[in-house]
Amino acid sequence: MVARSTRSLLPYILITPPIILVFGLIFFPAAQSFVRTLTGVDGSFSFERYLEFMNDRSSVTSLIFTFQVTFLSLIGLFAICYPLALYLRFSNSRVAYWAQMVALLPLFVPGIMSAYALIRFFRGRGLLETIIYQLSPVLSETYYSPYVKPEGIIIGSIWESIPFTVLVLLAGLRQVESGLIESAQDVGASRWTIFFQIILPLTRRAALIAFCLNFIAIFGSYTIPYLLGPAAPQTLGVLMQRTYQEYAQPLQAETQAVITFAVCALVGLLYVRTVSSQRTGRN
Amino acid sequence: MSTLSLKQLRKQFGDVTAVHEINLEVGDGEFLCILGPSGCGKSTALRMIAGFEEPTSGDILIDGQSVVTMAANHRPTAMVFQKYTLWPHMKVYDNIAFGLKLRGLARTEIDRKVNEALELVGLPDYGKRMPNQLSGGEQQRIALARALVLEPKILLLDEPFSNLDALLRVRLREELRRIQRRVKITAIFVTHDQEEALSLADRIAVMSKGRVEQLDVPSRIYDQPATLFVADFIGVMNLIPAQQNGATIDLGALRLESPTRVNGTVTVAIRPEDIAIVGESDVDAWGGEVEQIIDLGHYRKLLVKVPSVGTLKVYAPKALDLRENQLIGLNPSRFTIFRDGAAPIEVKREAVAPLEMSVAV
Repeated sequence: MVARSTRSLLPYILITPPIILVFGLIFFPAAQSFVRTLTGVDGSFSFERYLEFMNDRSSVTSLIFTFQVTFLSLIGLFAICYPLALYLRFSNSRVAYWAQMVALLPLFVPGIMSAYALIRFFRGRGLLETIIYQLSPVLSETYYSPYVKPEGIIIGSIWESIPFTVLVLLAGLRQVESGLIESAQDVGASRWTIFFQIILPLTRRAALIAFCLNFIAIFGSYTIPYLLGPAAPQTLGVLMQRTYQEYAQPLQAETQAVITFAVCALVGLLYVRTVSSQRTGRN
Repeated sequence: MSTLSLKQLRKQFGDVTAVHEINLEVGDGEFLCILGPSGCGKSTALRMIAGFEEPTSGDILIDGQSVVTMAANHRPTAMVFQKYTLWPHMKVYDNIAFGLKLRGLARTEIDRKVNEALELVGLPDYGKRMPNQLSGGEQQRIALARALVLEPKILLLDEPFSNLDALLRVRLREELRRIQRRVKITAIFVTHDQEEALSLADRIAVMSKGRVEQLDVPSRIYDQPATLFVADFIGVMNLIPAQQNGATIDLGALRLESPTRVNGTVTVAIRPEDIAIVGESDVDAWGGEVEQIIDLGHYRKLLVKVPSVGTLKVYAPKALDLRENQLIGLNPSRFTIFRDGAAPIEVKREAVAPLEMSVAV
């Protein structure tokens, strides 16, 4: 009897620590911050701090810049990862096997190391420019280094997110059975028709999941934009850290954090909807 | 008119030859079953006809025109797959209409054809449903409608009922035959289920290890198997290894006569229904002990241990009063002699009166 009741309690015992951690370290401080940002100096309800954020040019520029960098990174990421995942799914060659190994490599490299590796690779007089110079000194004069530019953040974010995105898209593509593609071929569909009308709609969920999780990761990232991005404009992650530490404005930093959290939470909701529709089998 | 010819068709995967040079002629409106065990090359042959596998050598002709270099999406064939393969994100209507839309047909024409196809497979009101709202049998009927709506010259079916339960399989089998006769389409049906092949086909091609062992009408495949493999694979068969000396084969208590004189090892094949149950003391019979009685509904299968012969499978009517460990006599009325490198020889023996029903031996 005792054994049975312990057994039935076991799942609850096991999920209690993560729930306490999530609530204690994420939801509670987030809620606290949220309430604080809506409290005026006199303690009453107020949008004062948000209005302050919206009236601060550098904050708004930073928000827009973060959106731009995130969307451009996501476009680049999908442009690279979708064809790569398609190749890995439909090719049985040895090259595909090695390509998968290489694509997953960044997964095992810490972000800060890959950021420094990228700096050494594409900064002025870095490895890339040296190679170009060796091939053509004239061409190397036109070399445009993405280091400390928005392109630097985009390249870094793409590099860091490739393995995860490939894994998610590949998992989605593997769920598209070969029979579904063959039956489309059988009724007369060309490769493009099969891609646009069968493969793409059937991998929509995987693509949405990859989109949401990468959006959240890139939008709130700090290391890559800090090390590879320009001094101005800054992404929200960098701005937040500077506002808090360098400018010693914890209240402003808190408002920036709540805005960042709110954007990510909205995308998180889309993710939760996508995952739950997958569980219930809805298309 | 739609005919299909396979000429010396061969498929090699690395070192493995999946299909050896096979030749097949399928007539207009004919229903041909390719029957064989797993890995015999039957599905590979079908996939080559559909264009999903490229033959290593040989030719495929539809109505006398070679289609071997034609891509799958341009061939005048349509396939029903083992897994229903309905596109899960499309409604039933869109699944059937997909191929018609690709052919640029007018909307009204598509509507008419889709409704006709749904009517044909007996699911007229299913157009608005999603595939995951259908049972396995319904999904496979929609897959059949999707193939038929394109009015292909050859309909290819790759074990379409193997994922369904036994009862549904029988129902759909009958329905498929009805539809095939109604639309008079040439069909190639791949299966490992001999009962399915025997009940459906105009002709059966039995395949083993990439080769066609026998191509014939179902009754001949069953009654006159061309090879030992076919004899063993189709139906229930007693295969007894024996020694032939001249024109006689001594098998236990019986001396079987052969019309040809040879010396060497042979296999005597006897169908259970060709063994009559006689009295234990009958001189022209094997004496044996009933080891096991298996009730199969309207008849019973006996496993009878016969000294120097082995355990024989025999059918007995339910009315015959038999018990396990009972001694009975077995008299073969027809058997086939198989010898390596020689054509099989069918031998009929004089019929004997079997035991009367409800009479204890």
